[in-house]
Amino acid sequence: MRTFYLKLMVFIFMPLGLMAQNSVTGTVTENATGGPLPGVNVVVKNTTKGTTTDFDGKYLLSGLNSGDVLVFSYVGFNAREITYTGQTTIDVVMEEAANQLNEVVLVGYGSSTKKDLTGAVETVTSKDFNGGNIASPEQLLAGKTAGLQVIPPSGAPGSGASIRIRGGTSSLSAGNDPLIVVDGVPLDQTGRGALNYINSNDIESFTVLKDASAASIYGSRATAGVILITTKSGNAKAPLKFNYNAYVSFAEIEDKVDVLSADEFRNVVNQFGTPAQIALLGTESIDWQEQIYETAFTNNHNLTVSKGFDNSSLRASFGYMNQEGTLKKSYFERISGNIKYIHRLFDDKLKVEANVRGALVNDEFSNQGAIGAALRFDPTKPIRSGNDDFGGFFEWTNPDGSQNTIAARNPLGLIELTDNSANTQRSTGNLKVDYDIPYVPGLKITANGGYDYTEVDGTNFVLPEAAATTTQGNVNQSKSINRSRLFDTYLNYVKEFPALKSKIDATAGYSFQRFFRSGNSVNVRGDGITERPVPFRTQNALESFFGRVNYSYDDRYLVSANIRSDKSSRLNPDDRTQAFGGVSVAWNLNNETFLKDSKVISQLKLRGGYAETGQQEIGQDFGFLPRFTFGDDRVRFQFGDQFITTIRPEEFDANLKWETSQTWNIGLDFGFFNNRISGAIDLYWREVDDLLNFISVPAGTNLSNALITNVGSLENNGVEFTLNATPITNDNFTWNANFNISFFDDEITKLTLTDNPNFQGNPVGGIAGGVGNTIQINTVGFGQNAFFVFKQAFDAAGNPIEGVFEDINGDGQITPEDRRRFKSPNPDFTLGFSSDFTYKKWDGSFTFRGSFGNYVYNNVDAASGNRREIFVSGALTNVSDSFLETGFEQQQLFSDFFVQDASFLKLDNINLGYNFGDILDGLAQLRVFSTVQNVFTITDYDGLDPEVPGGIDNNFFPRSRTFLFGVDVNF
Amino acid sequence: MKINYKKIIRNVFGITALSFLCISCDGEVDLNPLTEQTPNNTLNTADGFVSFAARVYAGFAVSGQQGPAGNPDISGIDEGFSNYLRQFWKHQELTSDEALIAWNDGTIHDLNNHVWDAANEFVRAMYDRIFFQIALSNEFIRQASDDRLAAFNDADLFRLKAEVRFLRALSYWHAIDFYGSVPFVTDEQEAGAFLPEQGSRAEIFNFIIDELNAIESEMAPARQNQYGRADQGAVWMLKTKLYLNAEVYIGQARYTEALTELNKVIGAGYTLHNNYDELFMADNDINGAQNEVIYTVPFDGLATQGFGGMTFLIHAPVGGNQNPSNFGINGGWFGLRTFPQFVSLFDDISGNTDDRANFFTDGQTLEIEDAFNFANGYLIEKFTNLTSTGQPGKDAGGDFGDADFPMFRLADAYLMYAEAVLRGGSGGDLNTALGFVNELRQRAYGNNNGNITAGELTLDFILDERARELHWEGHRRTDLIRFGVFTSRVWPFKGEVPEGRPSEAFRVLHPIPSTDLIANPNLTQNPGY
Repeated sequence: MRTFYLKLMVFIFMPLGLMAQNSVTGTVTENATGGPLPGVNVVVKNTTKGTTTDFDGKYLLSGLNSGDVLVFSYVGFNAREITYTGQTTIDVVMEEAANQLNEVVLVGYGSSTKKDLTGAVETVTSKDFNGGNIASPEQLLAGKTAGLQVIPPSGAPGSGASIRIRGGTSSLSAGNDPLIVVDGVPLDQTGRGALNYINSNDIESFTVLKDASAASIYGSRATAGVILITTKSGNAKAPLKFNYNAYVSFAEIEDKVDVLSADEFRNVVNQFGTPAQIALLGTESIDWQEQIYETAFTNNHNLTVSKGFDNSSLRASFGYMNQEGTLKKSYFERISGNIKYIHRLFDDKLKVEANVRGALVNDEFSNQGAIGAALRFDPTKPIRSGNDDFGGFFEWTNPDGSQNTIAARNPLGLIELTDNSANTQRSTGNLKVDYDIPYVPGLKITANGGYDYTEVDGTNFVLPEAAATTTQGNVNQSKSINRSRLFDTYLNYVKEFPALKSKIDATAGYSFQRFFRSGNSVNVRGDGITERPVPFRTQNALESFFGRVNYSYDDRYLVSANIRSDKSSRLNPDDRTQAFGGVSVAWNLNNETFLKDSKVISQLKLRGGYAETGQQEIGQDFGFLPRFTFGDDRVRFQFGDQFITTIRPEEFDANLKWETSQTWNIGLDFGFFNNRISGAIDLYWREVDDLLNFISVPAGTNLSNALITNVGSLENNGVEFTLNATPITNDNFTWNANFNISFFDDEITKLTLTDNPNFQGNPVGGIAGGVGNTIQINTVGFGQNAFFVFKQAFDAAGNPIEGVFEDINGDGQITPEDRRRFKSPNPDFTLGFSSDFTYKKWDGSFTFRGSFGNYVYNNVDAASGNRREIFVSGALTNVSDSFLETGFEQQQLFSDFFVQDASFLKLDNINLGYNFGDILDGLAQLRVFSTVQNVFTITDYDGLDPEVPGGIDNNFFPRSRTFLFGVDVNF
Repeated sequence: MKINYKKIIRNVFGITALSFLCISCDGEVDLNPLTEQTPNNTLNTADGFVSFAARVYAGFAVSGQQGPAGNPDISGIDEGFSNYLRQFWKHQELTSDEALIAWNDGTIHDLNNHVWDAANEFVRAMYDRIFFQIALSNEFIRQASDDRLAAFNDADLFRLKAEVRFLRALSYWHAIDFYGSVPFVTDEQEAGAFLPEQGSRAEIFNFIIDELNAIESEMAPARQNQYGRADQGAVWMLKTKLYLNAEVYIGQARYTEALTELNKVIGAGYTLHNNYDELFMADNDINGAQNEVIYTVPFDGLATQGFGGMTFLIHAPVGGNQNPSNFGINGGWFGLRTFPQFVSLFDDISGNTDDRANFFTDGQTLEIEDAFNFANGYLIEKFTNLTSTGQPGKDAGGDFGDADFPMFRLADAYLMYAEAVLRGGSGGDLNTALGFVNELRQRAYGNNNGNITAGELTLDFILDERARELHWEGHRRTDLIRFGVFTSRVWPFKGEVPEGRPSEAFRVLHPIPSTDLIANPNLTQNPGY
């Protein structure tokens, strides 16, 4: 084949009648170690001619003409350019790219280099990942980049974090989850923990397209940002290598919710109870939280094998994770596999890459109702009653011995008599082909086909004797299938015009993705009744054309433009196609003559961009169509002696469309002292229009009282600052540090079709305490999810006076109009500080994460910190110990007393490793490591954890502090 | 130059690899719903229309398409709360001296306290539920064009269409009763984005009467339709309700017309059931109560579930020292009690003389010191999930009740007859009226001891007797307004003071919810709000 290729080259270049051609060999080595570098790309500049180095770092390139420029490039290293003048040997020493300007960065449907980027794009590679017992890989990123919040999941094993790019305030109801693309395949993100099927060990890098001008290549799915995940691959011409990586960890809850102790409870009941209520007291002293939580162990094993061949490489990994939760009977088990195979044909002109990854997950969810029950259940009551009712667990009963269904259930009974589990099978994969089109140097076609398949089989088994049901137990079985398939194809053309000092990189393509989701369940009750909700099946599809042109002049001036036209099945056929796009420019000041030779400034790039993007997660697939839904068997209606199944016409908005946003971004990338110090600052301003809002329709006009339609606008703006520094680097000691800080601001600017200053806003944020109460509101002129509360009045001693609030509107009485918008769960700014060091064979790192100006509604205290709660409904109920402080007689749900500053600084993790290097006479290399997760939290917040979803703290599965020990062996 | 076959082969190979991937690319973006149905494939059979009509009927009983909850009809409030009958009941009873609630749900106490405003979510939920029902009916009537129905060759479909028009009229009655002048939408307007005009109370009053007159002959004769469906008796009762309250609604006395309709009802063969308690039991569709009931909202512990309606009525009043098993349920909800003002309507509250005094007092105080304390206020034991033979209802779990809700029953017609006569309507006489009232009292007392004399038959007596006979059946607010005492009478916490005080006169109308004022600029708020 090689000779054929040579002949072809001769054939092609013959008409040009150029001078004699020769070949060159050489070895590429790494500067730091002097060792050979396999897999380095060696190409002749401005051609597609090239090769890669073999395992020994050697290469051979033929058919060269004098004057050809050879470009040596390798990810993470500075590219080298050497002019061929007839040498027979060119040995090259590659230097690791401190400034990483030539680092390849994914940009969606292609890649660029850091120096050519015009938008705010940040890549985090595996060496910077967070350590710890991490089931769902997005947590690897927490605290690592400005403008990206990864809010860690609760303590439930296997659960996923929530990811918010640039504040996550770009939509009120269409979702703020960024689009996640794994090896080119956008994932179906509807399930639980969309990423927890991916073994963290298989991830090479995350690229975060923060800025809309970068993300806009994803058009209608780009507003909330895009995260591109690249999985690891093997190197070509590499020997067979094994890596075994494993850890064990144990975890305990960080803290418990403060409720009354048994003695405190007894005192309170004796003080306030009627004789009948006092008689209900028991004699035990049980800390129910202690009963339901336990030490949780995890073990995790990964085995990776990789092998490089002449024209191909293979990497396969196998992982097993067994993660217990601190709540008894909660458990996550995952068996995962990942195979990546890359084959190059026809002298690298055709590259075929196949990825398949899959996971089998067994979840045991336990009964999380026990978390709330443990706070409420009477601490003076025994765990077991001594009789056989309710499985032997003590439960509150009515005078006739039947269960008191209003009282709290025995927390241990809830856990022990319930078995709630699910088996998940998930696989994603893709086959990608890159082909260099003959005769047109620089033109490449790529086709990528991918799939995503998830099947979840759930079983919730409640024993007949359990107090959790009044139906003599039940077996609820559910099954859901989500699947999607993708096809992309695009052409990429790269051409340099040396005479014009110009370079063009253009891409144009087509994409189609189709989603299908289904679910059904059946509930067989212990009393013999079978309940079947109407199964659901739905589908949607997105067809797109996209293009991008990058132009650079003299490596100084860069322009990039994206366009994407999306056509969605979720919208009315008449206007289901819309174009999105963006333009961005950048100026590499460091390449200007006045800075080119600066010893101080190594990088200075000014960027600016504008883009229009969309948000298509509109909640329903056919919201634009008139349609009917069947009622299930339990909402039939009696005609005579028959029960008729009903059909209901659904509300619809024929004009439903995307949320669209316009974003401006300006940024500055800087680097000093050969990028020993580097960083970036970005400012953005975003306006989102046609918000998908769930609003009231004029009564009687549609088939419900409210529907999702496009009305309203909001604005976001923010500042992000990142600083990376390598304060020390020498033979023995290296220290890197990263600091990032992000400021956010958001304001709702419109919510109704017609301006109405009297419109109070849309209540949101349902709370515990009563039914249907909300604590937050979205109002024009304010930020999202502002707490909507009365201003508590205090006595001279500083204690809150029950039921007394400030008369905000001054009308002399306290009415609902005296509620005001007070703070919100959204932080004013967040920061991350992480650092890593190596000292000889030791390495270590830590990550701090902070959030400031975010408030939390302490729903535990608000709903349960009062006397009435103790005596409600013929049983005794434990309450929050805030009652001892406030003495509240009844719930003061809407007092701002319970809206508390939840600013925090957390030391998320500390890692320490020791690298033994070669062991067993060099047959293997060994590193051992240890991590502590959730080391400490500094906060003024009174509740369990200041970081709770939505800013409403209630029945939160506590996060745990984890201690981990691991080994990593290469052989 | 010779042809390079190898190159061709190579290109073919590359392109084949690409096309292999392209197999998955069918580019289909015009997709159809899979679970949900389009109008074309649901209303293409007679059964489709029957299912649709059943859904309009079920609008009073269920809260959505998944039982007991999960796919709600309306939003903005907890789905269980959103149930039509539950809202209707709360607005008729919690605003009156018959019921108060212990819960802390949103602004529910504003109903008890007579301080509701346009932002009150319960005021909105009732309004939205009424207009959901109207929109649903309009959609049915629009889809069920005579041409389309004729194709099925099924006369019952035309009758169902008349019944749906009755259901729409019923909801419009609720609309003008609570809210006065409301958006006026009929089947003439396609569902979609438009701003309805506000119809005056009188305009809609006339529309309801016209509709009822138009459908009367198309309805099944009284007592001749399938159980659960409306018939001419229901039409007559609804007309009576409008005429009897016409002074409130349109400022005109229409008592003679009321008596005309009542005479049709009374002559249609309905009979008082011999046992008052059995009217509200789990088997009240078959235990004989059905002969007294003119229009009912049927529930079923297995087939018609929800957290509103009957489930609410059998659970919410139970708690304290009561045993849930005495009601065929799995537990009380510790919510509803009554005021001393209602208790005082009975001379003997034990139930030993008047069977309708169905109080439970053990562990309860008569007086209300704390509206949130379930132990304050006597309990009322009226609706139950036990059958007349003492068996629990069909739902062995004890959650969902079987008892059907009697919206119109003969006893109500008797009392309205007496009232219309007393108010000067012609077409009836006092003697007959006295006889009807005494029939009710004989059933309650089990003997003639409770009989009253002609002299005792006064309007004040009628108001009290309606409370004794029909309490907790969703009549009280309308009755108090018609008798002019809704705002002036006093009970605890009315006006947000413990001893109670009169409320503002404008509270005889609810406010138009602020949500609809914002959505529809054509609307004018009721005075006082």
